[in-house]
Amino acid sequence: MLKQLALALAGTVCFALTPASAQTKTVTLWHPFTLETDMIYGGIKSFNESQSEYKIDARIVPGPQIATELIKAIATGSVPDLVTLDNPVVASFSAQGTLTDLTDLVSKSTYIKPNVYFEGPWASGLWKSKIYAVPRDANTLALCYNADMFKAKGLDPNNPPKTWSELSAAAEKLKDPAKNVYGFGFSAVQGEEGVFQWLPFLHQAGGSVSKLNTPEAAEALKFWADMVKNGTASKDVINQRQYEVTNTFMAGNSAMVLCGPWELPRLQTDAKFDWKLALLPVKDGKNIKASALGGYDWVVPKGAQQVNGAFKFIEFMSNPKILNEGWATGRLAPRNDVVVQNPLWPQAYSIYREQLQSARARGPHPQWPDISKAIQTAMQEALTGTKPADQALAEAAKKIEPILAKTPL
Amino acid sequence: MLATRTALLHVFLFVPIAYLLAFVGFPIVYNVIMSVQEVNLGNIADLVRPFVGLDNYREVMADASFRKVFINSLVFVGVNVVAQVSIGLGLAMFFAQRFPGASFLRGLLLASWMLPALVVGALWKWMFATEYGVANFVLRALGLIGSPVHWLSDPAVALTSVTIANIWFGMPFSMILIAAALTSVPLELYEAAALDGAGATARFRYITLPAIRPALLAIACLVTIYTMRAFDLIFAMTQGGPLDASNVLPLLSYQFSFQQFQFGVGSAIGTFAFVIVFGVALVYVRTLKKEGGE
Repeated sequence: MLKQLALALAGTVCFALTPASAQTKTVTLWHPFTLETDMIYGGIKSFNESQSEYKIDARIVPGPQIATELIKAIATGSVPDLVTLDNPVVASFSAQGTLTDLTDLVSKSTYIKPNVYFEGPWASGLWKSKIYAVPRDANTLALCYNADMFKAKGLDPNNPPKTWSELSAAAEKLKDPAKNVYGFGFSAVQGEEGVFQWLPFLHQAGGSVSKLNTPEAAEALKFWADMVKNGTASKDVINQRQYEVTNTFMAGNSAMVLCGPWELPRLQTDAKFDWKLALLPVKDGKNIKASALGGYDWVVPKGAQQVNGAFKFIEFMSNPKILNEGWATGRLAPRNDVVVQNPLWPQAYSIYREQLQSARARGPHPQWPDISKAIQTAMQEALTGTKPADQALAEAAKKIEPILAKTPL
Repeated sequence: MLATRTALLHVFLFVPIAYLLAFVGFPIVYNVIMSVQEVNLGNIADLVRPFVGLDNYREVMADASFRKVFINSLVFVGVNVVAQVSIGLGLAMFFAQRFPGASFLRGLLLASWMLPALVVGALWKWMFATEYGVANFVLRALGLIGSPVHWLSDPAVALTSVTIANIWFGMPFSMILIAAALTSVPLELYEAAALDGAGATARFRYITLPAIRPALLAIACLVTIYTMRAFDLIFAMTQGGPLDASNVLPLLSYQFSFQQFQFGVGSAIGTFAFVIVFGVALVYVRTLKKEGGE
């Protein structure tokens, strides 16, 4: 008993005598990155070593749960100081006043200058011309194809499809039902990921989210629905998340798939064949280049204890030197002053970097989840054959119209 | 002496009541309050929020997907209860026979029940995959199907698929409980009946079934409650899709709250699910009382 008391006393004295630990303020951070090679790990380490004022205390929250967890934190009033959020949901949080306004901090920052950021990623953090988020990374989609299968079917692996008609022709040739091989794979899952993958096609056809009841939009959805209908793409695409689509590619069940750069580390270790990347094909006669824009934003929830410390870390992570490391796990920099020298997967890097130029943001809109849900329903209806594409989209447009009437895109 | 005893009794009474109020009563009441308010990300931390009366309930009732999901839930729960209890009963009787390894194998069956639901969901999603899934492979090899079944991507089939997976997942629980109930039936009854010339069917009908009927009813209630809460398994397999074909109330409530950020509507759906579970729970408590009284 006495011994325990003495120990406890000694502990208190030690604590009081250590000046560093008394001054260091802990900045709590939530992020979903599980690969140890992600730039965030090196960043946290060197940030904590470079100064003693703040210490980053990181917690991994799985990507799909991060918004849910943040909502729970907001509801209970005990928020983390810094969170990485998937960029299309940021507006839902910022428009409701749950994030800290970073406008002043950004205006004083040396590294974070709005004009060096790509337009799409930067726009995702804006609400009513105030800055609520700083982009951490960016990603987009490109066409990933199995060069060995191209050769086997008499297609030129150095000349991947450049238009929709070339894409369907190649997919038709590559499919092999006897071997369970589909020509083309994509995610049309009932969720944000499905919308992320389909929007490039909508934009390439000349359609837009605000005008879904147009022939252009219907053509884009019909293009996907027809592939499922005639067996060029699997019926299971409506239930496959993006990583599962990549799985079918790596298992040799899909000859071509839509694929984001974050899959590169996995492709490198698990795909036992010659795979290559190509820019997304464009629609014949339209020639509109478009792709999806994804990525994570840094946000500081309202009520955070260490706003300055959090922003200091955001700045630290926005240093081009750190952003350069992002490509090790297939994360592109959200700004135009970062070009990776001698990148891993050089062919993929040049494709994705070029594709990023035509990447379009989702929203920003505080009700993006509702808009997205309407599109998801239309996609599921068209791809299961429950409703024709134009009818499904017309119904989606009806749901989206009042939302956009309140707050335009 | 008597005074201290009553004081102590009050303490013993107070502790569970306080626990129930704090951890069961409060969330339920809070959910009901949220369901009559307009709750969004901006005011979720506030205590005072705009009161909207029954608007959320009206919105829920008018929502086409809710009606579909409500019926789905009833079908899902109904089929699960009947299948889990009857298969559980069959297997429990089978393993009650004396053969080498019977109790070991019975224990082994429980393994599926011990797995996390998300893992089970991922497993079944794999098995039900159209191209490389083992379900289609086996059915094809046996010549039972010509073209592959789209287990999870055909709206007409998806509910059946998640139901099959959930039966597999939950059945061992019923089986173990029924097995326990079976051991309480005195063996002499069977011996006497056999001497009187009763066959296996008669013994089952006139001895086993009446003896374990209260237990069966209680188990059926428990399975109903467990199945009403099914969330993670379906979330992992289909996320409720395609087109809500395999969606159930708890998952729909989650989607409204945490994907659409319409917390009031999500809470209203939660209330519907709660009322159903509460009704079943009442039946369960009554059954337990009866069982105890006998």
